[in-house]
Amino acid sequence: MNAPGSREATRLPLSEKRIPDEVFAQMRAENLARWPTGAGVDFDAAVERHRSLPPHKQLAWVMRKADAERRCLTQPRGGFGTFELQKQLMQVLDRDGHADVVPTTTDSYTRNEHWHLAQKGIEETEKMGRSMLNGYPMVNYGVERAAELVDAINKPAIMLTGTAMPRLTGEIGYAGGYSGYLGSGIAYTVSYIKELSIEEGIRNYQYLDRLVAMYQDAGVELHRRQPGFLTGTNIPPSIAIITCVLDCLLAAAQGVKNYGLEMGQTLHLVQDAAATVVCRELCQDYLRRRGHEDVFTSVTLLHWMGAWPHDDAQSAALISYGGTLAAVAGANSVTTKSTHEAFGIPTPEINAEGLRMTRTAIYLARNIRLDGLPEFEQEKEWIRREVRAIVDKVLEMGDGDVAVGTIRAFEAGVLDIPWSPNRYVKSRILPARDADGCLRILDPGLMPFPRDVLEFNEAKLRRRAEKENVSYGPDLAVSSVYEMAEPIAKLLPDTWS
Amino acid sequence: MSAHPRTIVTGVIGSDTHIVGNRILTMALEKAGYKAVALGALTPAADFIKAAVETDADAILVSSLYGQGELDCRGFRDLCVEAGLDDILLYVGGNLVVGKQAWPDVEKRFLEMGFDRAAAPGTRVETVIAWLEHDFAARDRNAQKEPA
Repeated sequence: MNAPGSREATRLPLSEKRIPDEVFAQMRAENLARWPTGAGVDFDAAVERHRSLPPHKQLAWVMRKADAERRCLTQPRGGFGTFELQKQLMQVLDRDGHADVVPTTTDSYTRNEHWHLAQKGIEETEKMGRSMLNGYPMVNYGVERAAELVDAINKPAIMLTGTAMPRLTGEIGYAGGYSGYLGSGIAYTVSYIKELSIEEGIRNYQYLDRLVAMYQDAGVELHRRQPGFLTGTNIPPSIAIITCVLDCLLAAAQGVKNYGLEMGQTLHLVQDAAATVVCRELCQDYLRRRGHEDVFTSVTLLHWMGAWPHDDAQSAALISYGGTLAAVAGANSVTTKSTHEAFGIPTPEINAEGLRMTRTAIYLARNIRLDGLPEFEQEKEWIRREVRAIVDKVLEMGDGDVAVGTIRAFEAGVLDIPWSPNRYVKSRILPARDADGCLRILDPGLMPFPRDVLEFNEAKLRRRAEKENVSYGPDLAVSSVYEMAEPIAKLLPDTWS
Repeated sequence: MSAHPRTIVTGVIGSDTHIVGNRILTMALEKAGYKAVALGALTPAADFIKAAVETDADAILVSSLYGQGELDCRGFRDLCVEAGLDDILLYVGGNLVVGKQAWPDVEKRFLEMGFDRAAAPGTRVETVIAWLEHDFAARDRNAQKEPA
């Protein structure tokens, strides 16, 4: 797996503290030696490379610009198994999809650092003439090829790698001119891996954040981004935002200055708008309280992350409505899906279609805001109270250290994530959708939310149980998992009973 | 059902993290009175068999959602036989193959691999529990006909 044994010499006690220069230099040397393409990383050349990119191809600049101009940008996902397919995909997304940010999703072998298997996948792909990998093997292809991909588009490029082990992929992509990396120590470790401890995940991402700080010191601002959508299955806003705040504080402690927060859409317009505002507000609040005055944060909403309907028309509605939600919420960007979502990886053309659908919806809703609407103001206050109760407890448990507090809080169940595959997460908290369509906490597990907050959540969910004449309990959570994938005639019948 | 609850091993095979449906299935099995041994996401084939041997399980329910289930499940029945689990009930379910393929072909492929049942995408837990009841009852009848 991640061979922590080889890093004994550079292993400091866990803390949020910035990794010292000399230790980091040693960590980098060890990391880059793990696969031959690591030797292609030349930091000085990489800094020059980023300096030579125009601002509109630098994601940190683009996110700041979008925020200043109150724009909602679009970004799809996308990764294919060979360089040629990947290049073509990125060009289609750029030119036909008008993607504001162009992605490179890595394959599952790369995510798990099985580079020898990825190598076989590339060879098989060349032999078979079709992609045998579910993403782009960034490490195997190395720095020069990454640079060619960045040069093939006229937008900033971001790495999407769904992994708790980002160290070599991040080095290579950033060196090639990618200017953003999605992933964080808490969020991806609780969502994408079973056996890796949260401590190891945090350590792995401290490396990546420290690398970005090194670029920052050299005058190059790179974008880092946190995947607060977590397990993608009915994550209530407060749970997402709690991880956004903690991951953001960990990144800031390493010296990151340009950080994005992501949340999956609940699909309730008012709740999503409230979540977007509170996410930005509380991340900044905790950053300042801990002495990080100059960290730019953006907020991204993601198209529905749960199970998708098999009907193209229903899917198209989720895509368009997701664009509307993001625009009304004031999100800086939206990460898109396509009508192929229920069936797997979309073709470049269908992917581009999802981008244009979303873009049209954003255009139509570009100046609509909910400020002053009573439900919006109330929802924001409930989310703030849920987040503060947990984050304050985590900071207290860590005796002031976010990394230490996070580990202790997961052990105690004070931090918990719904539907997590990770052994180090209790995963006792259960969410469900209420009668109005908002996501609520059905069972808090051991998370210490205030009593009245829990009573509010329960009252909302009991109303749904009564309305649908089902029992109040785990079945509500289960039916909420399937809800959005159900045929529309079942959700909204066209016959009178 | 007999006095001792039957034991069923569940898990998501291979490099697959999609845990939600598998956990819902496990909850439903427990509610239906079975003893569930839940191995969770990212479970190698060998771990299913090891758990089944250790817990003297009556069935193994394998989930796969990421398309590579066809590779991960090859030889699963042989591994069971090697471990002395010749007659263990084997089900598989989820999005078992890459892309959109006709279900009858997919089902046939997995039944030929030695699974007793293959559940199509969207199969609900009630169906699986009905299958288990039916298949266990059939085995009990056979056992009575041929006393050991």
